[in-house]
Amino acid sequence: MSIAAEGAPGAGARPEPRPSAVTPRLMAKATATRRRRAARLKLWIGSACTLVVVVPIVLAGVLPLPGPNEQDLSKRRLPPLTDGHLFGTDQLGRDLLSRVLHGGQVSLSIGLLAVLVSGIIGIVAGAAAGYYGRWVDTVVSRLLEAQLSLPLLMMLLLVVALFGPSVTVITCVIAVAQWPEVARLTRSLVLVEREKPYVAAAQVLGLRKFAILIRHIIPNIVRQATLVVLLLLAQAVLLESALSYLGAGPQRPFATWGRIISDGQDYITTSWWLVTLPGLVIALLVIGVNLVGDGLRDRTRRRTRTEADR
Amino acid sequence: MSRLPPSPVLSRRAMLRLGAGAGAGLALGPLTAACAGPTGAPGPGTISLGLNRSLVSLDNKLNQFDAAVTVQRAVRQALTSIGTDLKPRLVLADRFELTRPTEWTVRLRQGVRYSDGTPVTVEDVATALTMYQQVNGSYIMGLFPEVPTVEKIDDRTFKLHTKVPVATLDYLMANILITPAAANRPQELSSGVGTGPYLVTAADGGSGEYSLAANRAYWGPRPRVERVRVRFVPEEAGRVVAIRSGELDVIDSISPDSAEQLAGLPGVRIERIAGTRINQLFYNFRKPRGHPLADARVREALTYAIDGKALADDVMTGSVEQAEGVVPPALQGAVKVGRYVHDPARARRMLDALGVRDLPITIIWESGEFPADTSVMEAVVEMLRDVGVRPSLRQFEPGGDILQWRQGRRGDWDVLGNGFGNQTGLALTSLQGMFGGTPEKERTRDTYQGYVFPEIAAKLAEASSETDPHKRDRILADAQKAIWATWPCLWAFVPKAVLARRVRVRDLALAPTNSYDLASVRLEG
Repeated sequence: MSIAAEGAPGAGARPEPRPSAVTPRLMAKATATRRRRAARLKLWIGSACTLVVVVPIVLAGVLPLPGPNEQDLSKRRLPPLTDGHLFGTDQLGRDLLSRVLHGGQVSLSIGLLAVLVSGIIGIVAGAAAGYYGRWVDTVVSRLLEAQLSLPLLMMLLLVVALFGPSVTVITCVIAVAQWPEVARLTRSLVLVEREKPYVAAAQVLGLRKFAILIRHIIPNIVRQATLVVLLLLAQAVLLESALSYLGAGPQRPFATWGRIISDGQDYITTSWWLVTLPGLVIALLVIGVNLVGDGLRDRTRRRTRTEADR
Repeated sequence: MSRLPPSPVLSRRAMLRLGAGAGAGLALGPLTAACAGPTGAPGPGTISLGLNRSLVSLDNKLNQFDAAVTVQRAVRQALTSIGTDLKPRLVLADRFELTRPTEWTVRLRQGVRYSDGTPVTVEDVATALTMYQQVNGSYIMGLFPEVPTVEKIDDRTFKLHTKVPVATLDYLMANILITPAAANRPQELSSGVGTGPYLVTAADGGSGEYSLAANRAYWGPRPRVERVRVRFVPEEAGRVVAIRSGELDVIDSISPDSAEQLAGLPGVRIERIAGTRINQLFYNFRKPRGHPLADARVREALTYAIDGKALADDVMTGSVEQAEGVVPPALQGAVKVGRYVHDPARARRMLDALGVRDLPITIIWESGEFPADTSVMEAVVEMLRDVGVRPSLRQFEPGGDILQWRQGRRGDWDVLGNGFGNQTGLALTSLQGMFGGTPEKERTRDTYQGYVFPEIAAKLAEASSETDPHKRDRILADAQKAIWATWPCLWAFVPKAVLARRVRVRDLALAPTNSYDLASVRLEG
């Protein structure tokens, strides 16, 4: 609209405001505006929640806290804000905050590694299926359908029981469990991209299929695919906690969120903080990451739509 | 787009919404009401027991953990049983006498019948002994220095013969459950008939759930509770919540922390009694010669790293006592032969003097082996770390392959967290089961974590064949001193048998063996 106005004869004169019933107040109430505002709010709240959890976890080693396994049996189950223990102590007199933060390092590392691996597998497999089609598509699609039809937690428990509960095994297991979602999305994005004129142009120029996929198609879809990977991070952290809670996490005395909660549940009626505080931390992180993911997705969707309109 | 003004009359859409809401309310109403009220309460006439370990069968040929004994004995009985005073009393037999050093004369009680009405015969006893022997790795057979043979005298009377005197056979036979000969198999029987006050109406060994009903043909006094529901609730928190809500009537083997939680609650009572079980952090005696743990001095040095008093008083809140011997003091024939001392400096000095540095130690155990097991293990790890040892933990979930590990068939380990129960009240039984290993038994891995000291096994065999109780106790005391000198445990403690019951459960007499007679229990309300 503004281009048309600038390009019109007599552009120097200030154009008369077009008569419209759309007032700024109505604009502010419009769904699009509300969505934009909600996306921004989601991003802010999500980032705040995530940072509140992630920053102390990253700095756990330098914060003035006792070691996560440093025990004092005479100070068992002290309530929060007692004797310098912000979160209180657990059943062996260990500082709960220190255990939650160090446990967070394990949970987050597993989560990040898992989503990284699942993201790579998903993008590669999905892109290949979407671009090459035919038997590659058939194989990848059937594989991911087969995996999606299996009960996730059951499958994870089975694999951990078979190979032993180490950090490496748990990371690989969660990564393999999550690749179908990324692959499915990547495949559908690539299916759209491969029909676009720039791909045809690249083919005419004599580029090989593999080069077109790597140099032109994947860079165009990777941003949207990465957003799904970010959402999967929250799921990976939850899965790791669930596995630890069920006794299939890394061996003791490794502090992991699931295990801290699992151990604390025996004292739920007398020492509420052993379960509640780690639970709150997990909830805060998961909500935060999900909100950030949602906010980014909404922004990306809007931008994509705007670009498409142009 | 212009919006239509809202209709003042009830629109079709509003009607549909109203209808859908009412339908959903009708459909979900009963569900909500059910959720709001108490669930799964056993009801009058039914007692509900929550066990901490899965009762895979109602037989004891392979396993006999404490809580199982109560239920197993309610369905199947033995010739004798061990009373709350830890003395044998007659059950299916009305006579059980040592008539010669190697001969016991037994007479079956007149009129004793199975739940199907058939009488108990001498053949049933002989078959039961054979079946127990045919089971591989039987816990019960490990308690017998020698399995007796049966000689039938008449329909009710028979003699039990042994090659060498087994002076405690009346205690040991309390563990041989009698089943009709035709139905007995060399395996654990999950259903079938028994002589007990209850019969099985439903059994699911997989989930560990059983339903029992009073046996109307019971030969003894009729049980006072009509129905018994047995459930396996592995999570302690789950059992605590269930007894609080009234879903369970009795839970056993609870941790000190749970006992503390339940102690002040209305409607729940805690029963405690000095137990006959010993829980140990037992060394692996299958280590090759030259391994640090094959040296008794290293084993001794490591014991000084453990602050047993803090574990007993703080972690277990005083519900256990540190062992002062190799078996619980409540057992007949047990003597105090030593103490566990906490002296980390001494541990370091001794290890340094022996040239042991950065010793890696793997501790294995099965979840739920004893109350507060994970807390104890994590505390022990830190204590060992303080004296320069590199400990690691390996926890097995119930149903896993820890048995293979214990037998040294799957992987290497150094210390095992284990409990050894005692259902005879005799120190000799525990000593025989744990320390009576011989090279022959070790060939089939039937020893207790590879503990093979022939001179100790010989002393125990001598005690077992000694008919004079005073002499026997003297030999046993010598054997216990010799065992202590080998430092078999990193640490050991004797827990009190602790049980929680709803107040409506009356006349529950908890025995030191951590079991009780189900037939004498009654319900109020």
